[in-house]
Amino acid sequence: MAVLPAHDMGPAANAFREEVRAWLAKHWTPEQHAEHLKKPFRHRGWDTEFSRLMGREGWIGIGWPKEFGGQGRSPAEQIAFVTEVANSGAPAHAHNCGETIVAQALFAYGTKEQQDEWLPAIRRGERTFGLGYSEPEAGSDLAALRTGATRAGDDWIVNGQKLWSTGGDKSEYMWLAVRTDPEAKKHAGISVLMVDLKSPGVTIRPSLALYGKTFSATFYDNVRVSAKNMVGKVNDGWRVITDALAAERVMIGATRMAHLESVFDRLTECVKKTPLRDDPVVRDRIGALAADLEVARQLQLRNSRLVEQGKVPIHEAAAGKVFTSELQERIGQAALDVLGTGGLLSEDAPSAPLGEMEQVLRHSIMGMIGGGTNEIQRNVIALRGLDLPR
Amino acid sequence: MSPPRPSADSLSDFDRNLLRQSVRDLLADRWPAERAVELETDPAAVAAVWQAMAAHGLASLASKADETGLREVVLAFEELGRASCPAPLLGAVAANIAFGTGQTNATRALLDDLHQGKAAIALALGAFDGDRGAGRVEVRDGRLSGKVSFVEGAQSVTHVLVLTDRPTGAAIVANGAAGLTVQETPGLMIPAFAELIFEDTPATVVNTPSQLLADIAMVARLACLARAVGAAQRAFELAVDHAKVRKQFGQLIGQFQAVQHKLANIVIALDGARLTLEAAAEARDSGDPAWHVFASAALAFAGPSLREVSIQTHRALGAIGYAEEHEAPRHFRRVHTDVARFGGAPRARQELADYLLGPRQ
Repeated sequence: MAVLPAHDMGPAANAFREEVRAWLAKHWTPEQHAEHLKKPFRHRGWDTEFSRLMGREGWIGIGWPKEFGGQGRSPAEQIAFVTEVANSGAPAHAHNCGETIVAQALFAYGTKEQQDEWLPAIRRGERTFGLGYSEPEAGSDLAALRTGATRAGDDWIVNGQKLWSTGGDKSEYMWLAVRTDPEAKKHAGISVLMVDLKSPGVTIRPSLALYGKTFSATFYDNVRVSAKNMVGKVNDGWRVITDALAAERVMIGATRMAHLESVFDRLTECVKKTPLRDDPVVRDRIGALAADLEVARQLQLRNSRLVEQGKVPIHEAAAGKVFTSELQERIGQAALDVLGTGGLLSEDAPSAPLGEMEQVLRHSIMGMIGGGTNEIQRNVIALRGLDLPR
Repeated sequence: MSPPRPSADSLSDFDRNLLRQSVRDLLADRWPAERAVELETDPAAVAAVWQAMAAHGLASLASKADETGLREVVLAFEELGRASCPAPLLGAVAANIAFGTGQTNATRALLDDLHQGKAAIALALGAFDGDRGAGRVEVRDGRLSGKVSFVEGAQSVTHVLVLTDRPTGAAIVANGAAGLTVQETPGLMIPAFAELIFEDTPATVVNTPSQLLADIAMVARLACLARAVGAAQRAFELAVDHAKVRKQFGQLIGQFQAVQHKLANIVIALDGARLTLEAAAEARDSGDPAWHVFASAALAFAGPSLREVSIQTHRALGAIGYAEEHEAPRHFRRVHTDVARFGGAPRARQELADYLLGPRQ
């Protein structure tokens, strides 16, 4: 390993890290990993079988409060967990959205009935979600969304269109932001529904994104959704969405961070084995990226400390997101400079010095756009962090 | 080398906040922003603020008896940077570490004077500086010869602490000793650095392992980085305040997204610099043998980042911040000075490469 030394995160997190490592060593063997890599790139990472195994063995919802069946693990322990899972390459994406975003919202806004029904299913890895936020006319300006829901007896009737839902073609449910009061001011008339994607009237159209996996447009044509599937009060959805987003940003950031550390480790290991290791320009570049990685780690740690203190990081989370996603861009660019044309080759290409490096660069675009573009994050820092005038 | 083991009595975050506030209050009183330009060129004023700091107990920072570590040093230097105060704290911290163990009568007497504000010390790192032009000093029969450059604060101190590499030692020289020539070398920083020429100069020399001297040099690098962070932060706060009151084209300039994003980028850079610096200091204080890797990371990031912060701060302030009587130019000088010293960010990047890839063949 050619990585920065680990921060001492305390005895509890260190011990827990060992426990996670031991479990992964047993349940995600090099043979399984090699088998997984034979799948086309776009199918990797999403494995409902593995999610169910993790669920059965208690590895989903480790950070959830105990009252909801979680282990109540600290942010430091959760960071250790996602880092180990990312380093192992185990396919743990399928349950992510449910575990982090949907569950967080259900803790705060779900009815007792919803919590009893949905949380155990998510925790067992048996219920997967996509995020239905963006629309053709509502991207950065999310509150301009127009997909509507009107009440009909015990149901809501949904009509509209969503875009760019990661995993939308693989998930069972959509976590859908809808307009329930067209007269209300933008943020005021929004609600959240959990929509079964097998419902009549749903059309899913996946397309391949630049980074090599799919995202989907979904169309809703008079789709009937039980009122029991609304999370939070009618027209109070903006709060549900933003609270859940803030809470999950920390863990998403930690996952991205772990991914970057393992990419950087592979790059430096590769450099170490070639004459490049003595090239002063390469060494200077590697040194600069190592420092940036330490900055990204510290920004993430600050966010988790704030969560631990019961605070919601807003502009702090934005700063972490901006820095980490732009660091991914820099690492991808550096890999191409250092490896030259060979860095453009896929991992399975003959004579590739190191695969997947150009993919890191393609993927970095998603990091800068998804979850609110970095320009929007900078607005958040300016307006919420510095209190600059609107 | 491994840093000292943590003490059970080390300060809490709450204590550190109190300490920070007390240093800020002291400097606001003794080194007010509106007089800083006039005071900084007056060695007597620098000596006076040092006495006030010593009376406050700050001269014993990083000393064994004090139970303070690098985190407290860092916060004190941040405050010096904010206030644009060139008080000679660097030499005091270095002396406290160098002479903390195995004291002789001479070093004990010096530390006593230092802690009472009767002595003030400038630090000459020489061969341990990291800059190719820093020079070096040799010891022969208890006397020094050689030349060191880039020494700060020599105008207002009673002693110079000189690190020597042949043999490795920490030498104390009285300012004004026979065979010592102090020559100011004007440049970006005010007060100017000085060049010190030693010609068979009498000194009290304490043989010191080179690892301890390297440790002192790394502490000095982080202390100066902390001062740059404090200066950059203060200038940035002025720019934010400015953006909230300055109107152009009929609106506050802080409403323009071009200005908002500029200031948001500064927040990220300052957060990154401060958090990595604090993490490195905490790692040293807690006895983490990898602390120097975290220190290199902080230095490597902050060098180019704080420069950019300083430049962008000035762009947000416009011509209003360009006059030397405004606070901002002082902070520009401080930031650019402190991040360029001791080999700067390029050296720190090489240290990280050495750690990750092994030394260059």
